Amino acid sequence: MSKVNIGERVRRTEDLRFLTGRGRYIDDINLDDQARAVVVRSPYAHATINAIDTADAAAMDGVLLIVTRDDWQREGFGPIPTKSGIQKMKDGSPLRQSDRHCLAMDRARYVGEPVALVVAETPAQAQAAAELVDVDYDELPAVIDPVAALQPSAPQLWDDIPGNLCLDFELGDREGTEKALAEAAHVVTLDIENNRVTAVPIEPRGCIAAYDAATDRYVLYNASQNVHANRDAFATQVLNLDKDQLDHIAPDVGGGFGAKNSTYPEPPLCLYAAKRLGRPVKWINSRSESFQSDTHGRGQTSRVTLALDADGRFLALRTDTVGAIGAYAWTVGPFTPTGGAARTQGGPYRFPAMYYTSRAVFTNTMCMDPYRGAGRPEATFQTERIIEYAARKLNMDPIELRRKNLMPPEMLPHKTPMGLDVDSGDFPLLFEETMKMAEAAGLTELRAAAEAKGRKFGFAIAPYLECTGGGPKEHASVTFNPDGSVGLAVGTSSTGMGHETSLSQILAAELGIDLDRVRFVQSNTQATPLGGGHGGSRGMEVGGSAVLQAAREIVDLAKPLAAHLLQSETEDLSFEDGRFAAGGGSVSMADVIDASMDADRLPDGMEPGCLDHSSVFERGVISVPNGVHAAAAEVDPETGVVDLAGYWVMDDFGTIINPMLADGQVMGGVAQGIGQAFLENIVYDPDTGQLMTGSLMDYGLPRADDIPNMEIGYYEGQPTAKNPLGVKGAGEAGCVGACPAVVNAVLDALTDFGVTHIDMPLTPQKVWRAIKDGGAHDPEGLMRAVS
Amino acid sequence: MQDFHFTRPDDLAAAGQAHQASDDGAYMAGGQTLIPVLKQGLAMPEDVIDLNGIADLSGIEADGHGITIGATTRHASVAASEAVCQAIPALADLAGRIGDPQVRNRGTIGGSLANNDPSADYPAAVLALNATVVTDRREIAAEAFFDGLFTTNLNEGEIITRVRFAAPDRAAYEKFPNPASRYALVGVFVAQTADGVRVAVTGAGQDGVFRAAEMETALADSFSAGALDGIAVPADDLMTDMHAAADYRAHLITVMAKRAVARAAATA
Amino acid sequence: MPDITLNVNRQAVSKTVEGRTLLVEFIRETLGLTGTHMGCDTSQCGACVVHLDGKPVKSCTVLAAQADGAEVKTIESLAPEGEMNPMQRAFHEHHGLQCGFCTPGMVMTAMALVAENPDPTEAQVRHGLEGNICRCTGYQNIVAAVLDGAKAMRG
Repeated sequence: MSKVNIGERVRRTEDLRFLTGRGRYIDDINLDDQARAVVVRSPYAHATINAIDTADAAAMDGVLLIVTRDDWQREGFGPIPTKSGIQKMKDGSPLRQSDRHCLAMDRARYVGEPVALVVAETPAQAQAAAELVDVDYDELPAVIDPVAALQPSAPQLWDDIPGNLCLDFELGDREGTEKALAEAAHVVTLDIENNRVTAVPIEPRGCIAAYDAATDRYVLYNASQNVHANRDAFATQVLNLDKDQLDHIAPDVGGGFGAKNSTYPEPPLCLYAAKRLGRPVKWINSRSESFQSDTHGRGQTSRVTLALDADGRFLALRTDTVGAIGAYAWTVGPFTPTGGAARTQGGPYRFPAMYYTSRAVFTNTMCMDPYRGAGRPEATFQTERIIEYAARKLNMDPIELRRKNLMPPEMLPHKTPMGLDVDSGDFPLLFEETMKMAEAAGLTELRAAAEAKGRKFGFAIAPYLECTGGGPKEHASVTFNPDGSVGLAVGTSSTGMGHETSLSQILAAELGIDLDRVRFVQSNTQATPLGGGHGGSRGMEVGGSAVLQAAREIVDLAKPLAAHLLQSETEDLSFEDGRFAAGGGSVSMADVIDASMDADRLPDGMEPGCLDHSSVFERGVISVPNGVHAAAAEVDPETGVVDLAGYWVMDDFGTIINPMLADGQVMGGVAQGIGQAFLENIVYDPDTGQLMTGSLMDYGLPRADDIPNMEIGYYEGQPTAKNPLGVKGAGEAGCVGACPAVVNAVLDALTDFGVTHIDMPLTPQKVWRAIKDGGAHDPEGLMRAVS
Repeated sequence: MQDFHFTRPDDLAAAGQAHQASDDGAYMAGGQTLIPVLKQGLAMPEDVIDLNGIADLSGIEADGHGITIGATTRHASVAASEAVCQAIPALADLAGRIGDPQVRNRGTIGGSLANNDPSADYPAAVLALNATVVTDRREIAAEAFFDGLFTTNLNEGEIITRVRFAAPDRAAYEKFPNPASRYALVGVFVAQTADGVRVAVTGAGQDGVFRAAEMETALADSFSAGALDGIAVPADDLMTDMHAAADYRAHLITVMAKRAVARAAATA
Repeated sequence: MPDITLNVNRQAVSKTVEGRTLLVEFIRETLGLTGTHMGCDTSQCGACVVHLDGKPVKSCTVLAAQADGAEVKTIESLAPEGEMNPMQRAFHEHHGLQCGFCTPGMVMTAMALVAENPDPTEAQVRHGLEGNICRCTGYQNIVAAVLDGAKAMRG
């Protein structure tokens, strides 16, 4: 393979093994003598656990061990506290930590909560025995809806946490916002529900734990997208180990989208079982269990109020959110509806004042943790829905209304009233470029074609502005091997994003070496001492920057050697396109690398292997990806069915490392947004707390004929100076822009019927019913009880 | 999944004997419903008797009046059959829209009918086309065959061997899929024959597939979509679940029926 | 327990299985061919698609015992190790995969689709992929890959 550059559509290194069935995912790994584990899960949303009788189960064929709360208590294993980025209530008191153990202790608080772990010789034996674990429950009343959970009469999840309130939060200028609302020519208010969904990576979660008594060390192979942080939590918080006693390794991981970021209970249970048995223990979740036990996302109810002057200029935005975080404050669960959703309120618009307040509330459901976007999709949806709604209510053109209020480029850099540091971008330019793309595709013709079929046509444009997140530090380590290969180990976690290619591409481009020399390692606590895994679109921003920094430092390290080879002085050297030059001579980096392993060619004071180097990059300020989505929708008014007739995106991700991979991120993110907008919905029975959408028969995922082709463009005119690559982040943006674009397009199509709002998912039934009801809708119906 | 004894007899008599000899035997044809049911532990038979080894249960035959489809004939075979496309194109169309391509390569007409899932497609065709279900013991008219959710008139151990369809003058099937599972949320099969018009509805009824009598009468007078204006099946007897309330299903039945009539009229 | 003899990827295999053993379990665990994946338990996702007597099926919804006497082809059969067939290459060229977990099922379905319809339209491809769920790609690049792979396979 020849040299590569940053910005090139380099095909992926990992494809060959994935396309030929030679990937190595967690369920493809089997260790000698391994036993198999099955989790006994609570069938009740809320119940006291009186006793657990394991006698019948333990007597079954092949059963090796049953782990219960008694073991956990006897061993003194700890709970996993939340690492929410917001840790204090509005009054300064600490957020209410809920003791989250790996097994339910006194009570089970959601359907699917682990109550015991059964380990047997085979999965079938473990399953059969799990069904015989006799748990004596007393069912308690459950509360599912977060607004209901705030009512004084609501069932209480925690004896020591009054009112089911985990965390309350505020950000922005309350007084200024209230004043603007009081004085504005127009004030528009809308309650919005952002539906509870789940990531559904096609590979279910699973792990294999092994213990070596001789060294008192553990190895955990785990379908995780965050091995370092999870290792620390499992070792030090749960199992009372030194973190160095646990090696945590993710093999190929079949999708994550945030849901494989969390500190789940099953891996520590398996680690403990592995030690008890002196045998490796493997556990693979079923898909149906995944719906109960993978973390959920979104699930926020908000009241959004927009103040405008007589000309339609935005004066203030106020948002009050109630977020269901589930039965426990999970890894970072309370952060999403508080700090997470606050930061990007107001999007790329000029807002003199903003105020955001929210409550993170315990409910008898599976818990919330980040799902692609984690707070930014909610903020963008709230902002874009209230703008669209205001345009309809005030009889303004929604496109013009947006155009009028976008921050002009000369306003940047700008710190928003939410404290977000927007350093660079050209929002009006991207807006007009997106409009041009849509118009070039023939909006008039698309409308005519829809109407010829008896359908209603709608179009909407949705600018977004989001931000990166996740671990601020990343480690990149480069080793040069005698066989010519170059090892690159990074603490990031690609679960499909193609880091094996893109991070190697950065290294190869920067050093000017062939890409196929690079051997990439990730998600392995043995390979890098620290790592931030994957989350918050940080892969290129922080991981890529670490690789770039390491590469640049290697060039510096190589200079004395290059100078020695060229018989010149270090300070006379230049380095370009992979070659060091001085005077008339030059030497390639590849040659320098060869020389670095040959004692005979090294100058005094340099040893073979002298170019091996590690570097840690730390992000200072989070980056701000931004862009514009637009969608065209056709609605069949007879059935309520929606078809998307066109989709256009312009993104400002700063520097694009590999446009092919960036396209993939946008397309996949948009598809997940479309899924949330039309199909996906986690539904619990509001009375019993039973999960109604417990399989893919009832939880709808988008299929090939649900998703339109997208036209995608990039603006690279203003890379950010916040990191050396100029990268702003690409992973979540698709998911951030999609919901408002498609929902507003559908509502535009329903203008003739007087329909101004439908909460997601916009299923055919809901669309049909909104049409039938002539748009009858209570704009303040969802939050009335708590506002 | 609980283990079971598996047999694959090569003739009907052996299959019947295997069933009779078992305390709790289940026949398996395509397995596309039974295997998921076994995985969930909703059924735990001691014996699974695979009918795919019985050669003469599979195949499609045409005569001057219609077609006969063997019980273990796959949906994909029905969809692709020249004979079916000639005689009853609506039936081939229906078969080609069951599940997904992989399900159609395994699922069978006999299995679908014996299971009588309320959201299965074939029951609508069988009822609307007034087909005859032939078993190893007798012939059962469509009207008498379906007996409520997941229930049929089949006796213990009785095996469907084939299904006989008379060709209608014109027919069409319209299906509104469940957005998640893509099973029929509502499916309407409309068939016009010399004896009149039959309209069968699947996916919606609390008791499974049923005929929409008022629609049949209106279409007998005038076989046009407009004839169904203002006619709706009462919502009272329809299913409500998280995907569709009864009133939405009632509405969809009329819409799907009109579309089916329009398509049947256009293709005739 | 049934004794079965079948042909997997052009090799004869004889084994004893339990009645309940699924074809996917047999392929993955007994034969060690782990390219065929399991992504759900309700026959929806299609990660487990293999060819059974030339037709694509969900191997999680076929008993191993039912495959007695049959010919099975899995993703591992499409090209010699280290190589890709034209359809696999089209997925590679068009970035028609990300995490790779749905990919073997997707490719096996695509192979069957073009065997039946060598020159499909985009709509036919999208409809033909109805039984395969991908959570990463948004399908656009998969559809482009199948169309291009079809062309490459037509020669």
